Amino acid sequence: MKRDLTRIRNIGISAHIDSGKTTLTERILFYTKRIHAIHEVKGKDGVGATMDSMELEKERGITIASAATYCEWSGHEVNIIDTPGHVDFTIEVERSLRVLDGAVLVLCSVGGVQSQSITVDQQMKRYQVPCIAFINKCDRSGANPSRVIEQLRTKLGHHAVALQMPIGLESDFQGIVDLVSMQALYFDGPHGEDIRSEDIPEQLLAEARQKREELIDQASAFSDELTDAILEEKEITTEMIIAALRKGTLERHMTPVIIGSAYKNKGVQLLLNAVAELLPSPEEVKNTALNLDENEAPVTLSSNPEDPIVALAFKLEDGAYGQLTYIRVYQGTIAKGTTIINIRSGKKIKVGRLVRMHADQMEDIEMIQAGYIGALFGIECASGDTFVSPGLNLAMTSMYVPDPVISLAIEPKDNKAQINMSKALQRFTKEDPTFRCHVDGETNETIIEGMGELHLDVYVERMRREYDAEVTTGNPRVAYRETITQRADFNYIHKKQTGGSGQYGRIAGYLEPTAEGDFIFDNQITGGAIPTQYIPACEKGFRQSLAKGPKLEFPITGVKVAINDGAYHAVDSSDMAFQAAARGAFREAYLRAKPVVHEPIMKVVIESPTEFQGAVMGLLNQRRGMIVGAQDEGHMCVVEAQVPLGEMFGFSTVLRSATQGKAQFTMEFALYRQVPQSIAEKIAEDMAAKKKNAA
Amino acid sequence: MLKKDLILRNPLRQMGYENDDILPEGGFGAVLARAGVGKTALLVQLALNTMLRGKKVLHVSLLDPVNKVDLWYRELFRRLAVQYQIGQIRTLWEDMLPLRFIMTFKVEGFSVPRLQERLSDIMEQGIFSPDMIIIDGLIFDDTSKPVLDALKEMVEKQGLRAWFTVNIHRQVKADADGLPKPLLPADELFDVALLLVTEGNEMHIRDLKTGDIPSPRPVLILDPATMLIKENVAVAS
Repeated sequence: MKRDLTRIRNIGISAHIDSGKTTLTERILFYTKRIHAIHEVKGKDGVGATMDSMELEKERGITIASAATYCEWSGHEVNIIDTPGHVDFTIEVERSLRVLDGAVLVLCSVGGVQSQSITVDQQMKRYQVPCIAFINKCDRSGANPSRVIEQLRTKLGHHAVALQMPIGLESDFQGIVDLVSMQALYFDGPHGEDIRSEDIPEQLLAEARQKREELIDQASAFSDELTDAILEEKEITTEMIIAALRKGTLERHMTPVIIGSAYKNKGVQLLLNAVAELLPSPEEVKNTALNLDENEAPVTLSSNPEDPIVALAFKLEDGAYGQLTYIRVYQGTIAKGTTIINIRSGKKIKVGRLVRMHADQMEDIEMIQAGYIGALFGIECASGDTFVSPGLNLAMTSMYVPDPVISLAIEPKDNKAQINMSKALQRFTKEDPTFRCHVDGETNETIIEGMGELHLDVYVERMRREYDAEVTTGNPRVAYRETITQRADFNYIHKKQTGGSGQYGRIAGYLEPTAEGDFIFDNQITGGAIPTQYIPACEKGFRQSLAKGPKLEFPITGVKVAINDGAYHAVDSSDMAFQAAARGAFREAYLRAKPVVHEPIMKVVIESPTEFQGAVMGLLNQRRGMIVGAQDEGHMCVVEAQVPLGEMFGFSTVLRSATQGKAQFTMEFALYRQVPQSIAEKIAEDMAAKKKNAA
Repeated sequence: MLKKDLILRNPLRQMGYENDDILPEGGFGAVLARAGVGKTALLVQLALNTMLRGKKVLHVSLLDPVNKVDLWYRELFRRLAVQYQIGQIRTLWEDMLPLRFIMTFKVEGFSVPRLQERLSDIMEQGIFSPDMIIIDGLIFDDTSKPVLDALKEMVEKQGLRAWFTVNIHRQVKADADGLPKPLLPADELFDVALLLVTEGNEMHIRDLKTGDIPSPRPVLILDPATMLIKENVAVAS
């Protein structure tokens, strides 16, 4: 059975936390008849919204993992990925955007374009995702959709075009004027399911005409037919306007704006219409993979269901029946019994059960065609793996994965917790590439690493709830790094003669700082001063030294090691001896190369009412923050700063108390920067104390 | 090349100003040009030069958001570093960054008391005390005299130097002094006025109000490809 690809929409719903996107998804599922009752995110009925399938999400009222769901609207099949709004989970957002063809950017009509919307928007730009904007919460006090449209233009640089205007606002929000069809639409029935279409109220008619004219004027830039119709004063049809808007949207030159209130059941159906009419089908999006046979040259995928398979695993979930792997098929068709190959591991896999997900319920299907999103059962793989038909050697573009900036020691309470904890960690590290774990060789503690305090908090909570693993956590630790600031020469002899075969190796050369990578090894030996077979041992010895700095024990980066002389002994030299000589040489030169400590610096963006701007800047200043700038937005202001991560622990509580809870902030990793001398001394003291305690 | 050499090679020195600050304490300077010619780029170069000398710059923009202003600085600094082959560009940039503070306002939300309030917020808490202030995007028309007077008072009181961008229109003709019309209402407040004009494929920086610089007046050229001031100086006729 071949389906019509033009009627498929793979969309994401992205927004700032608390803009109401989970509520919106819930309404979409209701109107598309996937669910038959509406539960609120923080509902009194205790059921929680359908998309927030994890217990924790229900309790905290936030969406953590992006659940994929499927629904139908006016003959279109819509796959929705509900994406998390908090910046700590952006890997989820990025992964979702990678597999989507279009997105709905949900904005709050009161809060407008907030810092997280800016991050999400940058991600959409990176993946070239066309989007439409939905200005939600028009029923709230202070709602002002026009201001939000203006912010879309000025803050995000979108060419935002309003397709609608509100009839009343705030508590008087009654309905919507559709500027394309020039009708007033009201949403009747207990859940707004009956749309009543009437003439535009007299008092709004002039404004509606003017706005429609603006809309047509802007749409005409994308359609010669529309431009001709305007110039020749012919009748302008709805189809003409929609076609022009669609073209502008797909080219990412225009962002159509829809308004409404999901909570009050107004405008959601019109958003669904816009998704069907304005966002692209999988055929209209150019997807590329990397050809591993030709030095990763990009290859355009065909979206033809008959071609060989190329699919991407974008999310893993641990279900009641084993691992569930969400995939997007870009080319070909995956059916039951098909053989596919995991490019990363090279393993052949025979496809068993295929399902389509609807939050935490599933529906068995026969196949997943190009352009579709579905899930596979019982397949061993990691997030981001590519599956192909035998014979192909393509990989989907790898996603950018940042290094973790914060770590936390965790300790299981008892034996049972220990077993469950290791199961949970195994799952989490597979699901989320920004979450890592290892066992500290010296203290024997299990260390988890991630992108922020909240990121790690959520995983610790999930261990408790989903895996019944009670763990105690230590204090969060910042991922400091060491590097050198000047060149230092070394000439080191490793010699041991304690009975049996001896060890001998001499290495000479220099260390110097480099900005080109974490470690560069340069072999300048001529004349066989060190025989070629021992050179890899030398490199290995230097690499081993980088794992822990001799003084503060942080990983060392940005070092170039060049060796230019040495000596060996015909009997006593060995790989072991040269490794030891390299470690000795590194130790000898390192302290003379003036090592310094680098710390992760976070980009912190705070939105606060203007009256607290001084207080907010004071808080940042106390935390060694460097304020980049302050943006005055009328009654609100946005302060952007670079603050060391080590100073940001517990910041949310301090910010809340300083601003009567009216300010909010987001934080993401920006760069590594040298720690000031006084702080470096304090870190050294702490490390010494820690070592003493461990001993 | 070292940072010190970069300061010494500041092309604006070639215009004949003895003082690196160009303006006296409490002084006003203006960069005049038509929209899109490179006023902001020129002022950002002035700011970068001030920052290289270890002085602090407050950049007030009524046009662009913080990110965009920041991008101007990063980009021009990068180009400057490439042009003069400065090593360790990242370290130098990191050292300079604390010397800059960006404030943005909406044109309609900008007022001198508001700016003053923000400025005392950061000065009193010891967060930032500027030596130079750049105001980009202020509208110059018949109504701007009181705003400029208030700014002058503020700048003189705090011992700052202030630079403005002035947008001029195509049809505006310079008056007898060579000053284009939008600046006229507050002419007496300004110590220096630089006019950016396109001459063929080049952009010339003409000094309209030279003060005590002996003639012939030197003309600087802004490279349209990099938006940096070229080192070769022509002489105005």
